[in-house]
Amino acid sequence: MRMTCTCHIVPKDVLERLAGDKKLAPELRKAARDTARLSDGLRALRDQAGMLTQIAQQTGAHLVELAKTPKVTVYDCKQSQTLPGAPVLGAKTSKDMTAKRGFAETTAVAKFYRTVFGRNSIDDAGMTLMSSIHFGKHYNNAMWNGTQMVYGDGDGKLFIDFTQGDDVVGHELTHGVTQHSLQLAYSGDAGGLNESMSDCFGSMFRQWRAKQDVTAADWLIGADIMGPTARGKGFKALRNMAKPDDKAALAPQPTKYSQVTAGMDPHYSSGPPNLAFCTACVTLGGKSWEKIGQVWYAALTTSGAHPHMTMPQFAARTRQLAAQKYPGQAVVAAAIDAGWKKVGL
Amino acid sequence: MQAEDRLDVERLGGLAGMGLPGSRIRSVGCVQGHELSAAERSRLGALFGGARPAAEHPGAADGFRYRLTLHRAGAAKPEVVEVPEAAVPAKVRDCVSDELT
Repeated sequence: MRMTCTCHIVPKDVLERLAGDKKLAPELRKAARDTARLSDGLRALRDQAGMLTQIAQQTGAHLVELAKTPKVTVYDCKQSQTLPGAPVLGAKTSKDMTAKRGFAETTAVAKFYRTVFGRNSIDDAGMTLMSSIHFGKHYNNAMWNGTQMVYGDGDGKLFIDFTQGDDVVGHELTHGVTQHSLQLAYSGDAGGLNESMSDCFGSMFRQWRAKQDVTAADWLIGADIMGPTARGKGFKALRNMAKPDDKAALAPQPTKYSQVTAGMDPHYSSGPPNLAFCTACVTLGGKSWEKIGQVWYAALTTSGAHPHMTMPQFAARTRQLAAQKYPGQAVVAAAIDAGWKKVGL
Repeated sequence: MQAEDRLDVERLGGLAGMGLPGSRIRSVGCVQGHELSAAERSRLGALFGGARPAAEHPGAADGFRYRLTLHRAGAAKPEVVEVPEAAVPAKVRDCVSDELT
């Protein structure tokens, strides 16, 4: 058995049990013992990284700016689930379209954050943006693992290559921004808000790239990664921010905050805040990122670490920020108010 | 977990929200105990024995979770655990297939 770098994710007590299991080969027991020790070190490192992030956030200043603009790196997992995979040199001009697209889309999201919100990368200190592509076999997912983006190729039926969704790339990278700002948990109200932040900024990025105003925008999440089988059955996207309970979405969501209950998956409970954001943008008109997006960004990045923020608290914060940022433009606050009222907040 | 046991597997969540209420994608599979190695059965047995899987990195999002239902030979009721993808052996992960409902 070959032990890969993914072994640290095996529970330590399981590793220790394997290490002590005399029915297993000696080399396997040694590998399990070594991995358990490595696991301890990595866990401590993760805890320290989390604490450092929190301190940097609380002090409002980063110790060091790594780069004026973030470096973008791409790794190829070659259908394995071993991260990060082999580095793709020259990803910008790679013949592998997934690598080329992963590089281009990530670079564009970084530009979006820099140009529209004045943010320098995920941590606002030039953090390198690392993506792994071709993760797993026919893997129907994309994710943020706490340090990098990960993209599957899709099975070619329900989904195609996940890098084909510009909103998907914006969504995953925004999970990193949330980790380095509000630090929202991934359960309860905070979990739904966490997912909603990624949908809102993913959709805004898509609209910004296409220079769309709120009426031209499709407000769909994942429309470009739908595979032929899903399309053939009439499904047009994963989610619809303008109509969370849309039957043409693969994962319809609730539309009211009163429908959100404890234990819900964040991809389900993100429906109401998604609808509130979309409604606010459409009510105000114009470009989503120009005013409503600015308020959402300020709520995300100027509220300190608030891992268990509730949806009513986030709504109150956006109402407060709208009045502060646009004191002479009551229509902004009114649009945000209309958005939250639509979902019962 | 023993060679004669059966494990039903459902993959949940992810960016696409598989298996959520109202979701149109379901990802399910099944694996027999004898198809797994002793080490894999031991790892799964530990999960059903109450071992807590390693926590995901703070801030991680969109990863899959797996609902594992163990049917022990001769047992009256199955046992169920829900764990992150990282805690699941590759052979178990690979037994599921994603389908529209």
